[in-house]
Amino acid sequence: MIYRLTQGMLDTTFEHFRHCGRGRDECQALWVSPWENSEAITRVVHPMHVGTFGGFVLDDAWLNAFWLELGDTNCGIRVQVHTHPHEAFHSETDDAFPIIHRPGFLSLVIPNFALGPVGFDDAYLTEIQTDGSWRQVPIESRLVMT
Amino acid sequence: MLENVCRYPSEAVVERLREAERGLETAREKEREVQKEIVEAEAMVAKVIEEIENPRIFTVEVLYDGVKKPFEVRIEETVKHLLDKAIRAFGPLPTPHTLSLYKDGKELPDTQTIKEVGIKPCDVLLLRPSKVKGGV
Repeated sequence: MIYRLTQGMLDTTFEHFRHCGRGRDECQALWVSPWENSEAITRVVHPMHVGTFGGFVLDDAWLNAFWLELGDTNCGIRVQVHTHPHEAFHSETDDAFPIIHRPGFLSLVIPNFALGPVGFDDAYLTEIQTDGSWRQVPIESRLVMT
Repeated sequence: MLENVCRYPSEAVVERLREAERGLETAREKEREVQKEIVEAEAMVAKVIEEIENPRIFTVEVLYDGVKKPFEVRIEETVKHLLDKAIRAFGPLPTPHTLSLYKDGKELPDTQTIKEVGIKPCDVLLLRPSKVKGGV
């Protein structure tokens, strides 16, 4: 699956990271699209979470409410995006606790708390495989800017 | 000696009384039958109400990533049984041990039954990861 994303959504994602993370805490965003047209990302969601320099945890009550909202709006989560303090990669924690566990689900990691240029420079994209493992995939093979 | 020909009440009246008494007995028999039918009908109504309020088999919905699917459950089956069915239906989900069912914001214990955790017909249960986190 190749997802289409607007520059505005990428800008919004970086704004969340910079405003919430303030260059010192990790932060997460979720890219969502409707099931009837899942290729087109239509929304950037900034989850309620607790962020620290070395990680983040989503708020449990928020997750319940968001799950119901996805059902009400017939939308699904296509990509989880989060920041790292320095290098972008997928840690053991990132591997073990994604929001979606389906093969093909994508996780994008943005380096340097997203304080660099808006875009995918030095970013890391990985995908869940059928056996549950993660495998790095070229960003351009899964995400297209429109 | 003259025979007394004057009888009161007359035979005809006595016969009408007997007929009336037989009619009364027939009506009372019918009343007993109807009363029995009323008791049986009341018991049936109570039984159906009990089945409506506490059904043994019913349908719930499970929601995962914005998609709802219906599942038939029995009150005596465990939450784990329903969880496994849901994971198969939404699958492949290769790391099933990370997922749980939630109702009213609370994670449902796997070992308890549908009845014990208070799942009712048409409830919407969330299939979601117990924890979502990241970190270097």
